[in-house]
Amino acid sequence: MGRLGAAPALATEKELSDFLKSVERRAYKRTLYAVRDGDAAMDVVQDSMIRLAEKYVDRPVSEYPMLFQRILSNATMDWFRRQKVRNAVMTNMSDFDPGNEDGEFDLLETLQALEGSSAAESAADQVSRSQILRLIDDAVAKLPDRQREAFLLRYWEEFDVAETAAVMGCSEGSVKTHCSRAVHALAKALQAKGISP
Amino acid sequence: MNFRRHLTEDDTLEARMGGAVVARLNQSAASLPHDVSERLRAGREQALARARLKPAVAARLAPAATPLLAGRTSQAALLMAGAPSWRVKLASGLPLLVLIAGLVLIEHWNTQQQVHAAAEIDALLLADDLPPAAYADPGFGEFLRSASPEQP
Repeated sequence: MGRLGAAPALATEKELSDFLKSVERRAYKRTLYAVRDGDAAMDVVQDSMIRLAEKYVDRPVSEYPMLFQRILSNATMDWFRRQKVRNAVMTNMSDFDPGNEDGEFDLLETLQALEGSSAAESAADQVSRSQILRLIDDAVAKLPDRQREAFLLRYWEEFDVAETAAVMGCSEGSVKTHCSRAVHALAKALQAKGISP
Repeated sequence: MNFRRHLTEDDTLEARMGGAVVARLNQSAASLPHDVSERLRAGREQALARARLKPAVAARLAPAATPLLAGRTSQAALLMAGAPSWRVKLASGLPLLVLIAGLVLIEHWNTQQQVHAAAEIDALLLADDLPPAAYADPGFGEFLRSASPEQP
């Protein structure tokens, strides 16, 4: 009887464990970009993992990514509410950059620089490598919240446009706009910081 | 056609740029400080412990309830298990009993009142100087009807 009862639970537990292991670092970084406080980001991520485990452990593992991102977003918002700075967050969220006239040459040049430096990474020393990582971290952190969320969900979590829209609670068109603006803003910021040929 | 191709090229460039940034973000995430990794691992294990608890609680509760209801435990346990049920049934039935008893009493009191009223009228009629047969006389009835407006 014990064997029959334990077998599915163990399988689910392993799936859950593997899933959490695969997303926890990205979740921490994403939350850190939003709350800008390591301890708070850790609390939010741990809370999200527990919420997922408590409420959705019996759901199919294919649903975990969407569920977890929703839980993480909600937990982050809860943190902001607790901090009584939600108004400031909403201001940031609606802070769309009106200047969308970055030429594609900026994007292409920065892309070539990024891909080029990636190829030459083995030759680069550890200090410059960590500096580049920090610059990119800073650039991502400085993106407006909605742009950053859309960019990270699309490219880092590898969600498609519809899934990203569902997690963010907006239209697919908004997701595309946020992503495009985020990419151009990143290209511009990285180029300004010298990550260019 | 050119416009559409231009859009596609833009999308491709953006996707490549996004991929390049994300590759660096992955490196950054992989090199998180040791204490952060440990805290994430602790959080993950805590979440797994909660998940483990959920089906375990359900599995533990289900077999515990079945033999109790099936009468496989001691008689004392059965009595203990049945006692609250009796009390609940009694407590829920008691207001209904009180209501029925109250209705019966009200009905009885009402009937008694009607009997008393009828008896009082009969007594007054019998004790009056006028014989009861006079009320059946049409002439007396007419006399009463014609006399009543003048009395006040």
